[in-house]
Amino acid sequence: MGMPPAADRPPGDADRMLTADHLTRQFDARVAVQDISFELRPGEILALLGPNGAGKTTTLRLLAGLIRPSSGQVLLDGVGLHGLDGTSLRTRIGILTEAPGLWDRLTVRQNLLTYARLHGLPSPSRAVDEALDLFDVRSRAGDLAAHLSKGLRQRVALARTLLHRPGIVLLDEPTSGLDPASAKEVRALILRLRGEGRAVLLSTHNLDEVDRVADRVAVLRGRLLALGTTAALRARFFGERLKVTVAGDAQQFVSVLGGSSGVDIVRADGPVLLADGAAASAHAPEIVRRLVAAGADILSVHPEHVPLEEVYLHLLGEGSTES
Amino acid sequence: MRRVMALLEKEIIDLSRNPAVFVPAVLTAVVSICLPFLIAVVLPAVTGEPLTGSSDFRVAIDALDGTAVAARLDGEGLIQAWILRQFVVLLVLTPVAASMASAAYSVVGEKHARTLEPLLTTPLTTAELLAAKVLGSLLPATVLTIACFGVYVAAAAAFAREGVYATLLTGQPLAIVFVLGPLAALAALQLAVCVSSRVNDARSAQQIGALVILPVAGLLVAQLTGTLQLSGTIIAATALVLLSVNAGLALLGVALFDRESILTRWK
Repeated sequence: MGMPPAADRPPGDADRMLTADHLTRQFDARVAVQDISFELRPGEILALLGPNGAGKTTTLRLLAGLIRPSSGQVLLDGVGLHGLDGTSLRTRIGILTEAPGLWDRLTVRQNLLTYARLHGLPSPSRAVDEALDLFDVRSRAGDLAAHLSKGLRQRVALARTLLHRPGIVLLDEPTSGLDPASAKEVRALILRLRGEGRAVLLSTHNLDEVDRVADRVAVLRGRLLALGTTAALRARFFGERLKVTVAGDAQQFVSVLGGSSGVDIVRADGPVLLADGAAASAHAPEIVRRLVAAGADILSVHPEHVPLEEVYLHLLGEGSTES
Repeated sequence: MRRVMALLEKEIIDLSRNPAVFVPAVLTAVVSICLPFLIAVVLPAVTGEPLTGSSDFRVAIDALDGTAVAARLDGEGLIQAWILRQFVVLLVLTPVAASMASAAYSVVGEKHARTLEPLLTTPLTTAELLAAKVLGSLLPATVLTIACFGVYVAAAAAFAREGVYATLLTGQPLAIVFVLGPLAALAALQLAVCVSSRVNDARSAQQIGALVILPVAGLLVAQLTGTLQLSGTIIAATALVLLSVNAGLALLGVALFDRESILTRWK
């Protein structure tokens, strides 16, 4: 029997690079995040999803040691952050803040060089040269940051975040406001980080992005609503979906599939029948037989992913009902 | 120290690319240099009434007559020397007042430009951050003060009575420019940076920070009216007080700098 994918395995001690352990943070009477627990593993991208004000940035700041939790703790390789000095913590973690935060009157190189020296890198100039090459911004090294496009600023900010080669990378909405081409470049860089074995926590609103790059998803709304792989979350809330396209209006065949094994919900959308259930794909032959017997001309049958958006909205709906 | 130097270098580059910041400093410095020459040299020449003709300057003659620094000066030169020496305090004051804007803006400005949070993710300590911010304002202020003093002495050599310039290169004026001036500037700028890390608005920081000029301005007025003469003892005592104040302000600055509030409450 093969090993399950890393994202599906329960984490061992060696897998826990960064752990949020029952984190709660209050600002006066307002609870920003409550009792959040998860771990970040090497070589994975964990997406932190949630609406505005859900506590994503607060969670990132807690994990980076920028603010202290009201209760709970953050563990870095199993050691509480309170037991580490700021230098060793910040050497291990790189955080890309929501705004690129470049000094506009400094050139790209000067921005990076200042950070390389602040991190105490042994050869700051060489580290900057490598970053300029890695992020393909060498040709703009002498330009003032103020003259860069938004996408380029984000790329430089990402280069700055990774200058000191942190094993853990926390990214706060890295593609927010970027055009599709720039966003694609940033996503490619994020995937490269995973390939290098780094642990990446990606805070984002972009569900498509999560579907493309994330190994696991944590849905947050003050507290953790769900945590798992996108496939596991889909299966948990919607099971599987079978998409059957027929000739003509599919509505007349909805009742035909009622009561089929493994199918819980059937709905029609024009010529398309959508059958959701715990094992809809496994029961595809039976579903096809029933439809053919009912006179349907079947054009295509294939399993389909429930859009992550549906899972997300379902979770938020559940969360708001519970709260 | 390396981290302080890294951030300090950034501050200097940042300032050098924003020359508009220096315009008020240069203008006030020009006024500070011209004002005493207007009183001591220009007005007597224009009106034809020598300084010795005015009983207002009796205090000047009393203060300097018979002292070693004024040994070779006639009455007019004696009063010119007294006026120019008294105004050295103003020379020290103006660049500090002008640097107050950049000091007051230092922390709150980083926050508003959204450059502070990335900075706080580095190993930079609060003390290092504040040291770089204070030095980033202090160094230009000190350079400007010394440059102004150089121009001041050169102008005295060119326009005042012979030998007057030499009275500016003696203990008291030199101690004001090279000891009291930097120490007072350090205190003022440290206070401004402290204020900058506690208020959410650069204008508030600048207005509150400007209050620290008042004691120095009071010192200038006391000197000009003859109420206070900055003797060697007074200069030494003031320097010791300023050293203590600076040490206290350094500790206070670190204690007052609340990273969490700056990150989470400032908008």
